[in-house]
Amino acid sequence: MRELTRRDVLKLGGGAAAATGLGFPTVLRAQAKEVPMLGLWSFTGAFSDVGPVLDRGMKLALDERGMKIQGKAIKYITRDDETKAGSATRRAEEAVDADGVKYIIGPWSSGVALAVSEVAKRKKVFHYFSGGTEDISGARCHRYSFQWAASPYTAAKTVVDTFMQANPKAKRWHLLVADYAFGWSVEKYIKEVGKTHGIEFVGADRHPLGEREFSNYVTKAAGNRPDVVAMINFGLDAVTGAREIFNFGLTPKIPLIMTWSSGVEELVQLAPEIRENIWVGSNFYYTADTPVARDFVKSYQAKFGGPPGYAPAAAYGMTRMLLHAMDKAKSTEVPDVVRACEGLEVDDLVGRMRVDPKTHQTLRPYFFMRCKKKEAMKHPMDFADIIATGSTPLPAEYAACKDIGAL
Amino acid sequence: MKAWLAILAAVVLLPVFVRHAIATEIWIFAIFGLGLNLLMGYTGLLSFGQATFFGSAAYVAGYLLKYYGINLFLALGIGVLVGAVSAAVVGYLCVQRSGLYFIMLTFALNQMFFFTAYQWTTVTGGEDGMPGIPRPTVLGLDIHGPLAYYATVAGLFLVSLWVMKRIVESPLGKILQAIRENEPRAEALGYDVSRMKLVAFVVGGAFSGLAGVLYAMLFGIVPLEAIGFVFSGNVVFATLIGGSGSLYGPVIGSFVFIWLSESVSAMWARWPLLLGVAFVIVVLFFRGGVVEAWARFWAWRAARRAPAGARVDAPR
Amino acid sequence: MKASLLVSQVLNGLATGMLYALMGIGLSIITGVLNIPNFAHGALFALGAYSLYTVIQLVGNFWLALALAPLGVGLLGVLIEYGGIRPLYKAGHDYQLLLTFGLSLIVTEGIIIVWSPVGMSQLPPPVLRGGVDLGITFYPKYRLFVMVAAGLLVLGAWLFLEKTRYGAIMRAGIEDKEMVSLLGIDIHRLFTAAFALGCAMAGIAGALTAPIRGLNPWMGVDMLGIAFVVVALAGLGNLLGSIVAGLLVGVAQSLVALFWPEASVAVIFAVMAAILLVRPQGLFGIR
Repeated sequence: MRELTRRDVLKLGGGAAAATGLGFPTVLRAQAKEVPMLGLWSFTGAFSDVGPVLDRGMKLALDERGMKIQGKAIKYITRDDETKAGSATRRAEEAVDADGVKYIIGPWSSGVALAVSEVAKRKKVFHYFSGGTEDISGARCHRYSFQWAASPYTAAKTVVDTFMQANPKAKRWHLLVADYAFGWSVEKYIKEVGKTHGIEFVGADRHPLGEREFSNYVTKAAGNRPDVVAMINFGLDAVTGAREIFNFGLTPKIPLIMTWSSGVEELVQLAPEIRENIWVGSNFYYTADTPVARDFVKSYQAKFGGPPGYAPAAAYGMTRMLLHAMDKAKSTEVPDVVRACEGLEVDDLVGRMRVDPKTHQTLRPYFFMRCKKKEAMKHPMDFADIIATGSTPLPAEYAACKDIGAL
Repeated sequence: MKAWLAILAAVVLLPVFVRHAIATEIWIFAIFGLGLNLLMGYTGLLSFGQATFFGSAAYVAGYLLKYYGINLFLALGIGVLVGAVSAAVVGYLCVQRSGLYFIMLTFALNQMFFFTAYQWTTVTGGEDGMPGIPRPTVLGLDIHGPLAYYATVAGLFLVSLWVMKRIVESPLGKILQAIRENEPRAEALGYDVSRMKLVAFVVGGAFSGLAGVLYAMLFGIVPLEAIGFVFSGNVVFATLIGGSGSLYGPVIGSFVFIWLSESVSAMWARWPLLLGVAFVIVVLFFRGGVVEAWARFWAWRAARRAPAGARVDAPR
Repeated sequence: MKASLLVSQVLNGLATGMLYALMGIGLSIITGVLNIPNFAHGALFALGAYSLYTVIQLVGNFWLALALAPLGVGLLGVLIEYGGIRPLYKAGHDYQLLLTFGLSLIVTEGIIIVWSPVGMSQLPPPVLRGGVDLGITFYPKYRLFVMVAAGLLVLGAWLFLEKTRYGAIMRAGIEDKEMVSLLGIDIHRLFTAAFALGCAMAGIAGALTAPIRGLNPWMGVDMLGIAFVVVALAGLGNLLGSIVAGLLVGVAQSLVALFWPEASVAVIFAVMAAILLVRPQGLFGIR
């Protein structure tokens, strides 16, 4: 055991100075002529594969405007949220305090999003998020956070209606639901919409988030002899589940529905054989037929070599909505932009998009696709065809956002 | 005395160079490291599950802060208490085993607490964590501002450091070191080794609990990772890198670790690789951590300057 | 409860249990001989899976990949033991353990750098695709194969340890290292061999798992905890114990998932703690 000496004092002081030079976040002030924007993406941790592509999407949208808005330069910074609520909170706050950030796009994970939303509310900065949680435009709504992804009700209605249209005889459904609030909501809506089609839900199992051993759930599902299995989960859970459902021979004999999927990001992890007879609901797919989408896919493909998945599209879409709001407001001050975003209506990435001022939910189409057989694929990323879109909004009686509050 | 001056200087100067939230986090992590080092450095018990106590305290105190609006002193007290009690429970199970089993058991129990927190979403929020933790006013003073909170935490750190210093210099501290050096001998000398180890566990847990509450109030959220294995691993890293053989090792280690995780991560997403490499290098060549490397460096300098023929001690 | 459901669950449990046993045996050999819990065991499991994937990409043969993957991981084990663990022999077990901890980070990040963090799928070889109608239930062929293959590997390990001279030396090393070295056996070679063998077993467990669970860089994280549970339950170096403990954990997990899925993971650790409390040497250990 050593006592610290005078030398240690010098070292500590020198270390602090060196650390500052080496990038310790310091107390800087952003210039008034800049509009600092934060892309809060995952570069490490469970979702580290999407961080880089989210960055691409947002940059593309900003580059379209030459990195300028309302005559001011846009300062775009990214921070790694490590797919963790703690790190996200920390880095978002740091970006607001030290870099003067006023606009946050992201994060990717819905759990982390709630934490970031709190930061946005506390620090009074604009926040746009796309993902699987109702709370941002529901129970935890406030004036500063907006939700880009479709409401889970819209998703459920699109999925069930379209699927039943294509498969009117598939009346016995088995549900496999991720055990968290969002999963329960989608389950509720599917059962409701299913009632109108006369669907019999022969089973509904909840699996814990992060489940890796799906064999137990699959055998239970098989035991109920359903006509179709519908999964309500996301990411690795969905991929692992789909794989086991194939391993146990349920698909391709009976269809599997991935109700709330990211599309490309999940499908690319499965082999073509596994994807056969999978039906996918998603917030974006790259064969979407709108002018904005077509241009976006073209630029993305030209720049990065492959078609964009949901992640870069969401980042792109949210950034565009933000820029539209700034155009409408003719200002880059947060309160003006918030007010301009409320009620904003544009024809953008996925079609007609409108932001509900009462809940900050973006009302827009949701996509439903069917995966292609291996032989029908024209190129390795040709996963599916869009069959239909749906945009029925959440009925008012389910809206959990009673009072969105003041600025 | 000199060491204390250095630390005081660091406490005062740090917020000048570094953003307040990061600076606060450094002292919180240092408190956490002090708790671990009582076990690892002084008693020779490599506990791989300290996040159990850190996280449990954060959740319980956070819950009470959020839903019952308890005051700061109560929150801190509860944090320390929960940290100590959870450590008593875990410690009781673990200290009866030695070496390998002890380590594996601390790890496994940490996992158990982690998965419980993960699944018990109604209480802990599961993966989303528990947001909305307030910072109560202290004796009429508002500590919402980053600098005010920093001052609070830095003050508590200094108190913790002083307490830990008293502990390691007390008879208890000597006994723990004796256990580390030669356990059977300590036993033969009549000390109840298991009980002493349990005491070390509980004290370490108390420190971890304090750090946990302060962490929850720093970011206003109790994230799931606060009770996870990675967090347990991080504090082991930091303490080892700083130097587990010194009282101040965890403090230095906290600086190094948080600097790495904040600065390097901004430059390269794969920075955990560097952390792993740094760790391997420390383990292979600088087991005493920064403290030892520092001492060796200065001893080398001194030896080079010494005139030929002069010896530190003559061989016998 | 339908009988077919129960049978399926038990089969699931046995299949995963066999993999757990394989992981447990490998870890048990390392902890038994070298006295360190190998914190890199999970990362090496993942590396085995990724090695299988890459070999199949290169040569297209599943069986060859299945043979090469554990070999590669075992060789890495030799390097780790020789370059990292052996120099720390004098420093003590704690430091050797910490080395494996640092290595687990390096291996996992290395996997991300080489293969990317995006998850991947690996289909079983065509002959093992699809399922078998067992009368009472339909069960995937590949899972049955894993049950059998893991079982054979476990049997092979048992034969090696019980019936061969090298195995006897290894068992003796678990019992009493000093005596073994006094008897003139090169203790360092023994350590290297034991560590490499343990790593190879993690590697093949990973390779076998890839077609079932797919590949992602953190696939070893859960496995590490479970391997620890199996070893703690079985008692260090106890081969038969590891097999029984592994199967027990697998089946327990499957059955608990029927009634209380949320608790299925926490329960495993709770059971481990309970057993260690009552019988610290594990269910079958003797020390």
